[in-house]
Amino acid sequence: MNRLFLLLAAVLPVLAPAFGQDPRQIILEVQKRQHSDSQRYEGTLEVISEGNKLATKRWVYQRLGSFGSSKAILRFTAPAEVKGVGLLIVNHPDRASDQWMWRPAIGRDQRIALQDRSTRFFGTDFSFEDLEERDVDQYDYKLLADEGATWKLESRPRKSSQYEYSYFWVKKDNYTFVKVEAYGKKGLVRTIDYKNYEQIKGIWTARATEVYDVARKSRTILKYEKLEYNLPMKDDDFTLQALRRDL
Amino acid sequence: MIDVGVMLAVLLAQKFEQRGFVENSTVVYPQTAPNDSGRVVDELLFREEASYKFAPWFTVSGSFDARTDSHRQTARDAVVDADDRSILRPAFSLRRLSATIHRGKLTAEIGRQLIRWGKTDILNPTDRFAPKDYLSSVVDADFLGVSAARVTYESGGDTVDVVWQPWFTPSRTPLLNQRWTAPPAEAAGVSIVDAGARDPGGSQYGARWNHIGSGYEYSLCFFDGFQNLPSFDVLFTPLPPTTVALTRVYPRLRLYGGDAAVPLRWLTIKGEAAYFTSSTPGAEEYALYVIQLERQVKEWSFVGGYAGSVVTRDAASPLQFAPDRGFAKSFVGRAGLTIDANRSLAIETAVRSGGSFVRFEYSQLFGQHWRATGGIAWVRGDMDDFLGQYRRNSYGSLAIRYSF
Repeated sequence: MNRLFLLLAAVLPVLAPAFGQDPRQIILEVQKRQHSDSQRYEGTLEVISEGNKLATKRWVYQRLGSFGSSKAILRFTAPAEVKGVGLLIVNHPDRASDQWMWRPAIGRDQRIALQDRSTRFFGTDFSFEDLEERDVDQYDYKLLADEGATWKLESRPRKSSQYEYSYFWVKKDNYTFVKVEAYGKKGLVRTIDYKNYEQIKGIWTARATEVYDVARKSRTILKYEKLEYNLPMKDDDFTLQALRRDL
Repeated sequence: MIDVGVMLAVLLAQKFEQRGFVENSTVVYPQTAPNDSGRVVDELLFREEASYKFAPWFTVSGSFDARTDSHRQTARDAVVDADDRSILRPAFSLRRLSATIHRGKLTAEIGRQLIRWGKTDILNPTDRFAPKDYLSSVVDADFLGVSAARVTYESGGDTVDVVWQPWFTPSRTPLLNQRWTAPPAEAAGVSIVDAGARDPGGSQYGARWNHIGSGYEYSLCFFDGFQNLPSFDVLFTPLPPTTVALTRVYPRLRLYGGDAAVPLRWLTIKGEAAYFTSSTPGAEEYALYVIQLERQVKEWSFVGGYAGSVVTRDAASPLQFAPDRGFAKSFVGRAGLTIDANRSLAIETAVRSGGSFVRFEYSQLFGQHWRATGGIAWVRGDMDDFLGQYRRNSYGSLAIRYSF
């Protein structure tokens, strides 16, 4: 099975130009190559606000399932005051995700109202929308330019979004995102850079993501440590009970 | 020797987690109260929480509090308290000490623990295994742990929760000689004394079924036990010195309740309701309900709603400590702003026909460990209103916390 996967991974870049001109196919290929049944990493998040003030948060993230129907638990490990705070995310292919937060200090889970996807994620420069799983069919794509090593694509959301359109740069050789520029009605809102790619279990993986909030002049760097794919995980570990089980 | 080494290695390989904090909080009251001349109350709390995962399916968790204060609200005895029934806060207490066993869809937690039911935030009528500590504030009370066995079965979107609490833990009430007890004006010159409590001896139990559907969730619950908020038996001695001795009693209570949450495109609706009956003669029977709306707009979160109550049988004695019903018949709201990763702002309010409460709070994290939270609370209203009776208790507060 692994050999077959490696073979496909080797052959696909050669075949890529044959269908690479279709922007939707490019995005589908990106998702296909990043597909994994489960994922775990330890994230370090550095928020560097205007004036170079630094705030650091850490968490452990586990996901079971893939695009559209996955479940994930994110558990903060630092700073000390939020240690144990957990977030359960249940994604649905046809509607917004359900999210519950577990706060040990009050000993109960709370369903999070998430009508505004432009809300920043725990005070960082990521919005909740930036962290959502992206369904290809919810966007219209256009190939804007062939820039040698990368394609430049434009996506426009079909459903409501804080963004009017976004530009994506995708590397041709391994179908990975390099950069995203997201625009609102008044111009550029955010840039997202994907850095330090490494192959982990055959999947090209950015080890850091840097987002820059243009209006706030603030940036957030998310580093992925101890990242692993396709670990054995159980459905029972992605429930409200699982959320409250750990300290 | 080898066995000991192997055991030690196995133990060290298991998972130990801990967190804790030390917090000093100072509350300044600009006005004195008729029964309390103190204007400044300082509290120091150390809390350590730890868990040890002996196996993936077996965890032992504990939480230990050590505290003191400047207002004689905390006992001075160097004794570790494990049931939290005393009128004063214990200086040392076990807030939690429980074993959790998890097998497949089944989770059982046995021992001292925090059990929370309900979905709303402004008031939780169904939250019956969660007594509170109202000693130093009626408007901002912490939860107390209870000794119980809790078994939860979860399958798909359905969860069944069964709880048995072998002995009773009451809510801790304000001291009679302090400002969060507001004696009526007619009691001027009368000595009011605490004559202790008659804690009920029986056990309590309850069950809750929660269902998460496609775009909604709801639960139904049942509870049979005791009211954790006291009514008072009064012994009046008219001969000078005129004395009123109050004994805390806890009527039997049976609850039928439910809650629901429905996230919609523009807002999330949450509701919770419970009907309380009692077999204790003279005890009140009533219904409490809450309907609240939630919405996030950028970095603001808004929660607003109405808490109501309907009394179906009046109490024989009007002397009760009932902050849950005190907050009923109120419009309650909360707005929170996340300024950035380190700073936040919150505004809370409760408005009734006869009284109101507003609190502003600003909080900032410094580095990885220190947090300062400053606040101002304003209480207004008539003396015969639940909130209004505390109108001399408006305050400013500052809490400094070191988390580790």
